[in-house]
Amino acid sequence: MPTVGQKLPHDSARGHVTGEALYIEDLPATVGELWVECVGSPVAAGRIAAIDVEAARRAPGVVGVFTARDLPGRNHFGPIFHDEPFLADDEVSYIGQPVVVIAAESRAAARKAAKLVKIEVVEQPALLSIDAAIAAKSWLGPLKKIARGDFDAALASAPHQLSGVFESGGQEQFYFESQAALAIPGEFGQMRVISSTQNPTETQSVVAEALGVGMHEVICECKRMGGGFGGKETQSSIPAALAALVARHTGRAARIVYGKTADMCVTGKRHAYKSWWKVAFDDEGRLLGLSVECYSNGGAFADLSTSVMERTLFHLDNAYYLPAAHVTGQACRTNLPPNTAFRGFGGPQGVAVIESILQEIAEKLGLDALDVRRRNLYRDGDETCNTTHYGQVVRDHVLAETLSELEKSSDYRLRMALIEEFNARHPTLVKGLALTAIKFGISFTTKFLNQGNALVNVFMDGTVQVSTGGTEMGQGLNTKIRQLVADEFGLEIERVLMLTTSTEKSINTSPTAASAGTDLNGAAALEACKQIKERMVAYAADVFAAQNKLPRDPAQVRFAENFVSDARLADPAARIPFGEFCGRARRERVDLGARGFFATPNIHFDFEAGRGNPFFYYTTGAAVCEVTIDRFTGEMTFDRADVLMDIGQQINPGVDRGQVIGGFIQGVGWVTNEELRYDDRGALLSNGPTTYKIPNITDLPPVFNVNFIDNPKHTINVGRSKAVGEPPLMLGIAVWCAAKHALSFMGADQSSGSRSLRIPATGEELLRCISAMPTPVADCTLGP
Amino acid sequence: MRDHLVFYLNGCRQQVGDSRALLTLAEFLRQEQGLTGTKVVCAEGDCGACAVLMGRPEATSQEDGDLVYRAIDSCVALLFQLDGCHVVTVEGLACGGKLSPVQQAMVDCHGSQCGFCTPGFVTTLHGLVETQSHHEPLTSVGGGLSAEALRYALSGNLCRCTGYQQIIEAGESINLATTPRLAELYPDPKLKSELFATVKDDVALAPQNGASPWQVFAPSSLEAALEWRAKHPQAKIVSGATDVGVQRNHGKLELAEVLVLNRIGELTEISVTDGVLHLGAGATWTAVEEAVRELLPEYHAVLTRFGSPQIRNFGTIGGNFVNASPIADSLPLHFVLDAELELASMRGVRRVPITEFYRGYKQIDLAPDELLVGIRTPLPVENERVKLYKISKRRDMDISTVTAAIAVTLEGKTISRARIALGGVGPVVLRMPAVEEFLTDAELTADTMREAGKLARQAIKPLTDVRGSGDYRLQLVENLLAKSYFDLQEVSAGSAPLPR
Repeated sequence: MPTVGQKLPHDSARGHVTGEALYIEDLPATVGELWVECVGSPVAAGRIAAIDVEAARRAPGVVGVFTARDLPGRNHFGPIFHDEPFLADDEVSYIGQPVVVIAAESRAAARKAAKLVKIEVVEQPALLSIDAAIAAKSWLGPLKKIARGDFDAALASAPHQLSGVFESGGQEQFYFESQAALAIPGEFGQMRVISSTQNPTETQSVVAEALGVGMHEVICECKRMGGGFGGKETQSSIPAALAALVARHTGRAARIVYGKTADMCVTGKRHAYKSWWKVAFDDEGRLLGLSVECYSNGGAFADLSTSVMERTLFHLDNAYYLPAAHVTGQACRTNLPPNTAFRGFGGPQGVAVIESILQEIAEKLGLDALDVRRRNLYRDGDETCNTTHYGQVVRDHVLAETLSELEKSSDYRLRMALIEEFNARHPTLVKGLALTAIKFGISFTTKFLNQGNALVNVFMDGTVQVSTGGTEMGQGLNTKIRQLVADEFGLEIERVLMLTTSTEKSINTSPTAASAGTDLNGAAALEACKQIKERMVAYAADVFAAQNKLPRDPAQVRFAENFVSDARLADPAARIPFGEFCGRARRERVDLGARGFFATPNIHFDFEAGRGNPFFYYTTGAAVCEVTIDRFTGEMTFDRADVLMDIGQQINPGVDRGQVIGGFIQGVGWVTNEELRYDDRGALLSNGPTTYKIPNITDLPPVFNVNFIDNPKHTINVGRSKAVGEPPLMLGIAVWCAAKHALSFMGADQSSGSRSLRIPATGEELLRCISAMPTPVADCTLGP
Repeated sequence: MRDHLVFYLNGCRQQVGDSRALLTLAEFLRQEQGLTGTKVVCAEGDCGACAVLMGRPEATSQEDGDLVYRAIDSCVALLFQLDGCHVVTVEGLACGGKLSPVQQAMVDCHGSQCGFCTPGFVTTLHGLVETQSHHEPLTSVGGGLSAEALRYALSGNLCRCTGYQQIIEAGESINLATTPRLAELYPDPKLKSELFATVKDDVALAPQNGASPWQVFAPSSLEAALEWRAKHPQAKIVSGATDVGVQRNHGKLELAEVLVLNRIGELTEISVTDGVLHLGAGATWTAVEEAVRELLPEYHAVLTRFGSPQIRNFGTIGGNFVNASPIADSLPLHFVLDAELELASMRGVRRVPITEFYRGYKQIDLAPDELLVGIRTPLPVENERVKLYKISKRRDMDISTVTAAIAVTLEGKTISRARIALGGVGPVVLRMPAVEEFLTDAELTADTMREAGKLARQAIKPLTDVRGSGDYRLQLVENLLAKSYFDLQEVSAGSAPLPR
């Protein structure tokens, strides 16, 4: 029985629930292993005047203290621009930027010694905010632009215009397993690095550069991560390089595991954005033109900021047709840790802008916001409104059907009426309801990254090993690929084992990111299976022909239920058990191993012209959310969510549902209570779970419906599935729009109140909006 | 006098008399025992990844009763607190290679993704199952765990991957009737008898060869504690360690000389006499929460949001009061009800009004030889209405930004007596005498309470910090008083007159 489409448990679930699943910190120590601690810059900007490590060097248990001058290789790395030093040697650019590395016999000894390091810095003024960076013209990379039509003309002739400034805060990935790596020195300067990374190839490459060796002398492995969410796409290579540095100099294994607070303080996050927008629209709320200038807080180094900004510009339309558009984006260089990938990768910051604008258009025109959104939806097959502002045709989707089905299943109209009634009479509470959509482009916008490779080994007993370039961070990639491979050979799932991801098995890989893990690596694994099966089929055709005196016909060979069979033979006894078949094939010198490769077809984009087809396809969906806000305190409760997504044919409905719910709730966290607060020196104050509040189980809405919509039009991609990792995160924006909707009942004046709401809508932010209203709540007459 | 700790770990006897006693339980498990299933994420009791089950004889247990198992955060529990306990970790739940029904449910329902928080969820779920045999069932009609009970019990466990829904579904699918309790998984009579026998011992730990100087005294009686305290006025007093453990993990506190109070049974007593609630300082918050469920529903509601279930299972009311945080959720109620604190030393016992106990930020009226032994709180009278507020960024497992307690005694519509306490707006919890005076003899109307809010706003100068700006706190205080007009109606309508 095929496993694809079945809700099989997560590949590692048994290890998760018993504690047997090992993460970096759990790996048994080898004799002489060292703990590594990093000492960072005490200030956000300045020049290092002196580094005093003598006291640390003499501290008990300390084996080595290292600085930039101890790096054998280059002291610069970075995924796009090579602008970031491993260890600062002159200029420091953010608080906590690594300067000194300590290696000691124990973690406690390393931590004590770290406190003895003195780094003297001649401090310089720090740029912390987007506004400050704009004023100083402090940029990372060039301005990006996409335009279509004549926006100015559209604005001038439109019946209605609105403009505003939209701000969204950053977000901490908050993976549970902090950044971690274990470096094990090999012979002749070779290095094996076990890393909690979404990007083994990048880690391999960065470690090689730091050590001044070739990539062939470094192996990077990743069995699993305790969460990644983008935070381990590039930044995991820093701890890996630091551990490798220690291992190189001491000849001993070296392990680094960031403490939670340190991790939060020194690693990059989702970018905060500030965007100035203008929109033109008609009496029915149809968009006529949109202009947005986006600025992101990129932090001190480029990291992935320019790429993140590209995705923002690609998602300012979200699911809505923009007849005229002029959108620009600029990443700002500031003195915060370099911001990086986080699930959605710039998409959320774009989607939130247009969803907020549509909510405001509805409010201004006194229309229902769902009606306004529906009028603006991309319409499949309608050439007047099916092309994005960057020229890609949005095809084969079910956005209109999604909205209709959700409107019905969520009782949207009835509830809207009830809410209006409730809000008119309730003295202390106000409710809001909103539907938002998502259309998320699937593919890396950097074309070359859209490739995957996989190794499939079939053993002579009929069991199978699979290794791909994809990494497992909880998302169920390995579970899905295991199912795909098992079905390909017609095997029960237990006969297929997923191996640790290693640069020895899959080379020159892309990060497991952009929701494309299964698309790229699953397709590569199937390609490997195909090669092996071609050889097996050729051999099986010989065997069945000879044994049964039939004409040789490879087209009749079948792989099912752990057997190889010939479709022409009805007798079950004529089948060959897969294990026996493999043993025989080996004796006949049939190659039972293969490496598969996949490159996503039909994608291209011309960044100069701002035109092309950057995405293989889009994953779409919508959500309806209802909230209740306390008029006096700004406290918000999330009452109900109805989520509906098109993710094609599901490979594993249990895994996919988990991705949808988990992503959605992460998005809810971004727009509600996840608030990064810094002091005026640029130090993160909300630096642990005590002060940084990710969603709790009690923040789930009591009514929470998650469903999937069929899309027979989607016929491409592996198993006709769709990528699922990131898109649902952006449906969390529905909660924020519901809050904005609720506030609209409290302030008659559009110049304040709901229009000034920012992301995240914390209690404090909501109360700020409420208090800014013309009738602050403590003065308004309510109730009996 | 015993010179070593005795406890059990996954059914195996452990004896520790050396400096490992100063490790956190999580460190002991991971570094000394190789039990790496227990994960440490925050090391501050704010995520639940490190949750383990702790079984111990409780005051309510009979001599021949069972151990009571509860989930605690092992990252902030110190080994020296665990004498007489049976610790069960995630590794100790599968039986003969077969997953426990809780574990199997988590597997089947996709309750794990990255898996890092999963051991904490599994142990905490087992803790919830345990409560089903000891307390009023939280179960739904079908005999399983209700979503509501699961949310409550798991509010101290964070998960970043799943969005929790599939964990709730896993919990709902557990069949309580066929899920073995820990007493059945660990039936060894020797385990129980030895742990029950430890209760009466005093335990004194010190280095054998005088290496780095440290000593721990964990007495079983108040008398022994007071005697030792008189001789060791500098020692750090540890009860639940739910704050001490955090400070220690952040390198802000070196534990060298320690007096441990969590083994003193007489400090855990809770009673009501002549309309006065007496809470022993050693009572855990879970015990207090259960005791006030009917007695003070408003307080109960706040306590269900206090810390996390794991923290409430180990942290004590005495430790919390002496820790003297101005944003302690626990305090405002006792301020408006004019509670008194009982302070004991070898010199005797004295009582101090709670409003005088707190003298400044983290400064308390406690002599070096004294211990807080109990809190005496007069319960509200029949026509007295009490409303409590806790404003925090996140509803659960969050520290308050502002807390408030509003108590008014009504003669008809007229307020004959008003008491108001605010937390998070000054160095200590503050009573608002000017506002109270304004309200006395005023009629309870929306206008009155709005005016009271404005007065309260003028009486405070709150700070800006990571939890909120000073302006936000000012606005909250003003609005909470205005809002209380509506809520005070509901307090009377929604609940029976509180017992005296």
